[in-house]
Order: sequence, then structure tokens, then C-alpha cells
Amino acid sequence: MNNLKKAPPVLILEDVAVAYKIRGGEIEAVQNVSFEINRGETHGIVGESGCGKSTVAWAVLNFLGANGYVKRGSIKFQGQELVGVTGEELRRLRGDQIAMVYQDPMQALNPSMRLGDQMSEVLTVHRDMDKKEAEKRCIEMLERVYMPDAANVMNRYPHQISGGQQQRVVIATALLNNPALLIMDEPTTALDVTVEAVVLDLIADLRREFDTAIMYITHNLGVVARVSTRVGVMYAGEMVERGTVEDIYKDPQHPYTQGLMRCVPKLGADKASSILYPIRGRVPPPNNRPVGCVFSPRCDYVREICHNKRPELLEFSSGVSVRCHFAGEIEADKWSPSDDILPPEIITDTSPREPILKLDNLKKYYEVQGSSLKDILGLGEQRYVKAVENADFDLPRGTTLGVVGESGCGKSTLIKTIIGLEQTTEGHAEFMEIDITDEISTRGEDVIKELQMVFQNPDSTMNPSYTVGQQIGRPMKRFSTVPKDEIRGEVIKLLESMRLGENYYDRLPRQLSGGEKQRVGIARALASHPNLVLCDEPVSALDVSVQAALLNLLLELQQEYDTTMMFIAHDLSVVRFFSDQVAVMYLGQIMEIGPANAIYAPPYHPYSEALLSAVPIPDPSAEQKHIRLEGTVPSAINPPDGCRFHTRCPRRELLPDGGAICETEMPPWRETAEGHRIFCHIPLETLNTFDPVITQKPEGSNHVS
Amino acid sequence: MLVKDYMTRHPIMISPETDASEAQNIMTENNIRHLPVVGDGKRLLGLITREKLHVPPSDLGSLNVWEISRLLSDLKVKGMMVKGKDLITTEGDITIEDAAKIMLEEKIGCLPVLEDGVVGGIITDTDMLAHLAHLMGATVQGVRVTIRMPDKVGESAKVTDVIASHGWGIYGGGGHDAPKQPGYWDAVLKIQGGDKEEVVAALEQIEGQEIIDVR
Repeated sequence: MNNLKKAPPVLILEDVAVAYKIRGGEIEAVQNVSFEINRGETHGIVGESGCGKSTVAWAVLNFLGANGYVKRGSIKFQGQELVGVTGEELRRLRGDQIAMVYQDPMQALNPSMRLGDQMSEVLTVHRDMDKKEAEKRCIEMLERVYMPDAANVMNRYPHQISGGQQQRVVIATALLNNPALLIMDEPTTALDVTVEAVVLDLIADLRREFDTAIMYITHNLGVVARVSTRVGVMYAGEMVERGTVEDIYKDPQHPYTQGLMRCVPKLGADKASSILYPIRGRVPPPNNRPVGCVFSPRCDYVREICHNKRPELLEFSSGVSVRCHFAGEIEADKWSPSDDILPPEIITDTSPREPILKLDNLKKYYEVQGSSLKDILGLGEQRYVKAVENADFDLPRGTTLGVVGESGCGKSTLIKTIIGLEQTTEGHAEFMEIDITDEISTRGEDVIKELQMVFQNPDSTMNPSYTVGQQIGRPMKRFSTVPKDEIRGEVIKLLESMRLGENYYDRLPRQLSGGEKQRVGIARALASHPNLVLCDEPVSALDVSVQAALLNLLLELQQEYDTTMMFIAHDLSVVRFFSDQVAVMYLGQIMEIGPANAIYAPPYHPYSEALLSAVPIPDPSAEQKHIRLEGTVPSAINPPDGCRFHTRCPRRELLPDGGAICETEMPPWRETAEGHRIFCHIPLETLNTFDPVITQKPEGSNHVS
Repeated sequence: MLVKDYMTRHPIMISPETDASEAQNIMTENNIRHLPVVGDGKRLLGLITREKLHVPPSDLGSLNVWEISRLLSDLKVKGMMVKGKDLITTEGDITIEDAAKIMLEEKIGCLPVLEDGVVGGIITDTDMLAHLAHLMGATVQGVRVTIRMPDKVGESAKVTDVIASHGWGIYGGGGHDAPKQPGYWDAVLKIQGGDKEEVVAALEQIEGQEIIDVR
């Protein structure tokens, strides 16, 4: 409101360069970064990993480590130069005026101290407050960050509360001293989407209330669109574009920003918005950055000058500044994908095909060992973690099933049970008409060959001392799908279809980037020409531009080999584009399953509806319904009776007696004409009346709260 | 409209050990006139204003250039700031007019605002002026009329009735007793919806009231 009075910015970075000394010289990790943050403003910084986002944050706090230093430029906080400040003064600033929130709340909290003790320490140490008073203040702050049962939380240890709550404790601790600047480095990346949505709402609230300047670092364009007022895009240590969220998202000027926008799913109204166009190549390492424009090797508009001359920062009248020789001339609308990054066309074969996998009430329970004497003697009642409950669906040959849900909902257990890593507790599973519920040791090689898996983390699934060629060749050898002397040729063929080429054959995993490793992981899964490939979050650990390339590649290979796929993801936007069917899981139970198109439009299961409304969309003009789930996912040892979602369901009131039936009875499967099944007590007619979660804002009303 | 809503949160603050020249520099660069001086945990110790940094020429008169430069470089904020009973502060929970009264009575340009005993913000005469401008509707387009009315109950209701009946809105305003005319009250209103002529024509109909200024 005080727009007549102009307060000076809280933080001003001017032409900052950060260098790390290494053996035989030094590396400039960050160059020419300038921006400022005002009171009560959230300034987002986005970019892929290795682009120097965190380095900028550390430079502000002088956390660069023994070998890092600010080489050029100035960092001014509240009018005072921070570069060169050391010791006592810095300690005071960090304690009183600047606070940080990091990605992993578990690492910010001391596991051996009660939460109350570690929170009040901030006040007793920095402010000399007495213990009683400090504790009272902490409880107030916990209540401000919407912590349920705040007084009680003070007596708990970090492991006794959920991840979302841990992050709230960290944020509350950061705010205790009412800092002028809050630096948040990927604060929601480790959280589930529904929890993330709540934390993001909280950040927006707190910014308004405390007038805190927030530097928000993230790789997720959707998150930035939701919380920031202005945003800076970083690439290879430089800030290539900066402006208001509306300007940047609506009309990105820099080719890199344009590319980024194209490789994240938008989850808009139509399926076309989910088509991804990757950026070719990858981020250059800091010691090997190109001369001239850093983006030139990956740019679609590259010209002679880009290779020789570093572009200056051009400022436009709108306030957007862009580091590109041709800024303003490039029109994003006129862009058309070149052949090598064009996603394969989806062949929608509607003719029904025979199911390759049939699950019939498949269950997986884990036994839990109690700690009482009774339990140890085996006299107590046996308790179970009900990880997968009544999975029941058919998977037709050549199709893809996307499985979505929050962490701990049993997605991974489901596919581990199918592949045989876990033994089925009850129910029936048939793969190519062979029973696969028996122990894996009884499984024939012909079945194992046809069932392969791609894992989430390529680093931990590859033997670091085997070359790429050996890793991919191994399944071929084991299953003798290829004669011995042809293995090399076959491996190279596979590598080529992964767009990797023959020169990768003799490389070791450590010589590959994350995206390349995952390509090798996929190649290995495909080496035995399996009929069913199970992918456990294969792209979650990768950068967005690489993610898009891999997803497109997977799709292409699936069509080429006519493979069937099950694809796990934690967020609904990733699976939309290439799934034929999508299943949404909650607490071990499939809540909704059906054709991909049907899942993203009403009728929704109330849980899917909440998930859709939580996904951050990288488009400030998209409007989402505001549905936030309360509480946390209940324990799988003791899941709620009746419908497992009833404790958090926002739609229960639609039923008579406020949904009394949900607490006692399992819901029925409600089926629509197109084979879309919803596990809910609410009749389809009512579910049909829900509005779509995502709508486009009318033109001209774009405003970020 | 309380102090906590209009103060500048997170003001620039300095420590008592800061050099006076540095304080001077910070004020000039950021175009501000007051710097709260704080210790650990943002506890208020004093306040530096531009006047306080003023070194009287008589102090320097008898010194040569070298002595002057040494004198200046030895000056710390600690020795020059307002402190002790001269340091007047306020809480965030008082009204803006009460804060203005304190500043007028004490003839000072700023009040550090304490929250839980530590500096939560600062409110200055500039904030007051910004507040005044907002209060009078300086940021919205509209017709500004000053109406002189008898100081009686029901007079301003007449005005608002007329404005409401035309579907216009009041976006700012205020009033006080008419200068040199006892028994009368001047009200200023920023009205949005109608143009100047329409507003005048409508308000002129009210008996016993006079439009003394319109712009």
C-alpha cells in the first residue's frame, strides 16, 4: 500500500562473480549476476542443476567454503557491503537479519534434540531471552505456520513428525528473529505435491505478514509461478533473463527460457499442453564454458556472433532484461521443433488388445515386529503394513499405465511385487498367462527376461566398475537372446537408439551425466526385449530439459518394440502425455483408474482432484481450484476403516450425514462408460458436477498474489 | 490504521561500533535520514540521525588537516547517537495519529517501533506524509471537493446520501473544524464515479452546505 514511498531494496547484487580455487587455477562458477530484492517481495531464481543458483545464495551469506570467494562485484544487504565482511559482524547478520531454509528439513534439524529446545535456542542465544518466554514465542510461531498441536510438537523429536511438518518447523525457526531476508533453497523439492502446495501457500502468507524479502531458489518453473513476483533465470552461471513472472512466462525472450517453458508439462486444458520439447545437449560444466554466449551450443537461433562475443544484458522498457544478442527479435510463437527433438506421434490404437498383465485383488502386506514382550515371544497379535491393497486391473499389450500418488502410497511396492522383488501376500497376478505370485526363485528365465525394470536413481543401479557395454550386454548374455558374437553389435544398436553412439561402449558410469546414465539404464532394461517394462520414477532425478528428452525417447522405444509399460510418477503432469491409462493410488489403494484423458477431467475422485489442484503449473494465467488436504497420510499399519481417504477427504460433506458411510464401509467401484473407475461412495452423477480443476484465467486479470 | 501497518519493517540498522563516516555513507546511499543502532538480537541501543552526525565547525577550527582526518576516523556511532532518556520509541499497536502526536510533541522526525522489545520497524515523518496522501486519496483519480457544513449531527450523512444515490464512491477524505469560522466543519472528499460538474451539481442541492473548493 505504501507505494508513494520508495524504500530501498533489501538486497542488491551488482555484477557478482564467484570463483572457486582449484588445483591449477580457479573456476568462475557464477558471472555477472545482478539483481535486487525489495521488502515483501519474493524473487525466484530458476535454472537447471549446476547453473549456479545455490552458489549465489551462498555468496550472500559467505558460505562459499574455504576455496570459494566473491571475485568481483558487490553484494549489499540493507545498505551494507557484505563482500569481505567476516567474523562477528557476519555472525550477527546471519543470526538477526538473514535466515535460510534448505531443501532437506531433516538435515537442518538436530535429530537428537527436542524440537522445542532447538527452536528456542535461537531466541535464548541471540536475544538473551529467558527459556519460558522463548518457548511461548516458539509455540506462537509454530501456530502461525499452521502446525497442528503446536505445544505438543515442541516436545517431540524431528523423526516423530512428517516431512511437511519438519519443513514448517524449519521455516518457523527461520522466522523467529523476524529476518529482513529469507533465502529459501529448494524448500519444497523433497516434499509431496499436496504438502508442497500447503507450504507454498504458507510462504506467500508469511511474506505479506512479515514484509520479508525472499530469495526463492528452485528448479521448478511451476513453483516459481506460484510464489514469486519477479524471477531470474540462470544458465551456466549467468543470469540470462530477469523480469516479472507475468512477463517471463507469457513472453520469454531468451532462447533458453523459451526452451525451458517448452520442456515442462503445463497440465492445461488439452493434452497438447503436455507435449514436451527437450533442449538438445546439456549444461556445460563451469570449467568448460563456451566463449561467447554460454547458451550458443544449444541454441536454435545461433549465429556467427554468438560464438565470438559475449552478449550484454539488454534492458527492455517493460523492465525485462535479457542476455542475448538477438533479444526482442526472436519470436517464440514462430518456433518449430527440429526433427531431432520432435516427440514421436502417439498412435492411438483403439482396437482392444489382449491383456499382458492381469492383477486380481493383489495384496502386499509387510509384517511388523512389535517391541513388547508379547510380540517378541510371538504371542501378540501380528500387525501388518498394508502396502498394497486389492490392486485389480488388466494391462493390455503395448499400452502404458501411469501410476501416480504421494510418497508412501505403495506405487513402488506394487511394481516390486509384480516383478518379484517382493512376495505377494494374497491375490493373483498373471503375466502372459503365467502365474507370477510364487517366489521369484521358482520363476523361469523366460518370464524374468520379459519383465524388466528401470530404476529411479541411475547411479545406484549401475555397477561402477563395469563399462556401459558390459552392463547392457549382460542381460543379453544371461538370457541368451543374442548369439555371443553379435552382442557387441546389438549393444551398439541399442546405444544408437538411445542417441548415445558407439563411443559410449567402453565408458564407465562415472564418465556419464545423469541423463546419459539413465539412458543406459533404459537400454539395459530393453536389452532382453522384454514385454513389460516397469519404470520407477525414471526421470524424477533429472533436470527438466533432460527429462523431456528421456520421456520422448521412452515413448518412441515403446512404440518401436511394442513394449508394455508401467510408469510411476509422483505428479500427475508428467504421465499425462504418454499414458494410455492412469491409476491414482492412496495409502496402498488404487483410488481411480481409467483412460488418461478421463482422469484429468471430471468426474474426479476427490483425491485426484486434490492432487491436480496441488500441482504447481508453470503458467501464471492458469487458474487452479484451491483444495488443500488437511492432516497427513495416516499410517499404513493402521489404515482408516472404510474408505482410506475419509480422514482427509474434502468432499465427504456431499454425502448424507457428512459422509458417515465413508468411515465404516469400503466404497464401491463406480464405472463410467469409457472404462474409467472411481473408488468412492459419492455417486457418479455428483462427481460429474465438479468443475474442472484447471481453467484459464480471463485475459487481463493476471495478477500474482 | 495502526503504526504496525504503516511503518517500514526491516529498517536498515547499524551496530554501535560502526564508524560515523560509514553511517553517513549508508544514509546518503540509501537516501534515508534515520538509522536505529542495535546490539545483538536487534535490541535497540540508540538512534542516529543526520543532525547527530553533524560535527560543529568550531570543534575543528583549531585543528590542522591531519588532526581533522584523525578525529573523523576515530568517530564511532556509539558516541554520537541519541540514547538513554532522549531515545523515544513506540509500540506497533498504537494509532497513527497517536504516533504523530508524540512526534510533534517531542519535535522529532522518527520513532523506532519496538515489537517484543526488539526493533520491528521504524516510522518517520515521511511515512506520515505518505499516509496522509493515501488517506486523502492521492493515488486514485477522482473529484476532490471541500464542503463547509454546520457542525451538527446529520450533516455528513446528507453528503454521503447524495453520493450513494448517484452510485459514486468515496475513495479518501477527512475533515476538521473550519478555520476562522466557529460552528462550521470542513470536509474533504475524494469522489469517484462522476465528473466535476456532476459532483458539484449534485452536492449544491444540499441546503446549508457550501462547496468551497473543487478540483
